[in-house]
Amino acid sequence: MSAAGKKAIAAPGYGVVEWISTACRLATDRNDFRRNILVNLGLFAAGVWVARNLSDLDLMSPQPII
Amino acid sequence: FATFMGSVLAASSPPPPGSGVVQGAPGLVSVPPGFSMPPVPPPSVPGQPAVEIGSPLPNPGTYEECHRKCKEVFPIQMEGVRLVVNKGLSNHFQVSHTVTLSTLAESGYRFGATYVGTQQTGPAESFPVMVGDMDNTGSLNAQVIHQLTSAVRSKIAIQTQQHKFVNWQCDMEYRGDDFTSAVTLGNPDVLLGSGIIVAHYLQSISPALALGGELVYHRRPGEEGAVTSLMGRYTGNNYVATLTLGGAGAHATYYHRANDQLQLGVEFEGSMRTQETAVSFGYQLDLPKANLLFKGSVDSNWVVGAVLEKKLLPLPLSLALGAFLNQKKNKFQCGFNVTVG
Repeated sequence: MSAAGKKAIAAPGYGVVEWISTACRLATDRNDFRRNILVNLGLFAAGVWVARNLSDLDLMSPQPII
Repeated sequence: FATFMGSVLAASSPPPPGSGVVQGAPGLVSVPPGFSMPPVPPPSVPGQPAVEIGSPLPNPGTYEECHRKCKEVFPIQMEGVRLVVNKGLSNHFQVSHTVTLSTLAESGYRFGATYVGTQQTGPAESFPVMVGDMDNTGSLNAQVIHQLTSAVRSKIAIQTQQHKFVNWQCDMEYRGDDFTSAVTLGNPDVLLGSGIIVAHYLQSISPALALGGELVYHRRPGEEGAVTSLMGRYTGNNYVATLTLGGAGAHATYYHRANDQLQLGVEFEGSMRTQETAVSFGYQLDLPKANLLFKGSVDSNWVVGAVLEKKLLPLPLSLALGAFLNQKKNKFQCGFNVTVG
């Protein structure tokens, strides 16, 4: 009973660990198409955010006098 | 000569009517070129029943132009040395001489000629336009663009490799009030029974939103197939977002005009067939006071590139330096262009 109980308690913990290791393997597998799509979609969203917020650049403005 | 070049450039990629800088009364927003403000309905006179006047939707432009604004921000890969000499012989005729020295491609000489006709359809558009160039091996590229009626434009393009015809295509484009449709016939061969037909349609749904589709049908002896894709484009005050989804994959671009000097572009491409995706980020810095144009890009394949263009006034000379570095494959490529005239 105690062994079965211990196994029941360990099972959910073991499931979470397995899920985390699967996620880590997916995140570091450069040959995985789904992973590449997710990473590149995130990069696209980051690029759009940078493009929309980078508007105060003025190269012809006078130099600040210190 | 500037008017001549304007005609040639305008003929190859005509802007949709209604676009351009809109200078209103003080207090109104001025719109950068290439963008159009949604039309404002006229105010109703008190005492009269309010009549709803439907704002006419603008023509959305062509299907190919949707991603072009973002693509133009990115630098073009240059390799080797190129010298281009342009000479305008009259308001209608221009010739160009191009000498290319390269290690990756063939070095050689190319002679080009451009003729712009007398049928003027707009302030910077004249037809017919005939553009052709031939290199020292006898390979020819030629295009003829003509405005048949006020709404119909046709184009014929031919490409040969020495004496052999490689590409020949004809396309017809119809511009309606709020839509554009085009049909292209590529490499038709009646004897073999082969060819490619491409049909495009783009419809303005609102002043900012345009939706469209593409159908590509190809046929060869023993095989035929079709590919369709859908496109959506949303134009904001200073940005354009375009998405194309099809059987081959997805293509999304975002163009943003941050200010008069800075334009940015982000591009995503994904292909189910090759199981590959890529993202590119590019920017363009335009300093007309310094006669300088700088384009830079970085992408998810660890490729970093840049092109610097500088006009050497008062000489009619333009210098372009470009370099691309592929960090993953450890490859570097640089190029140098001089344009006279």
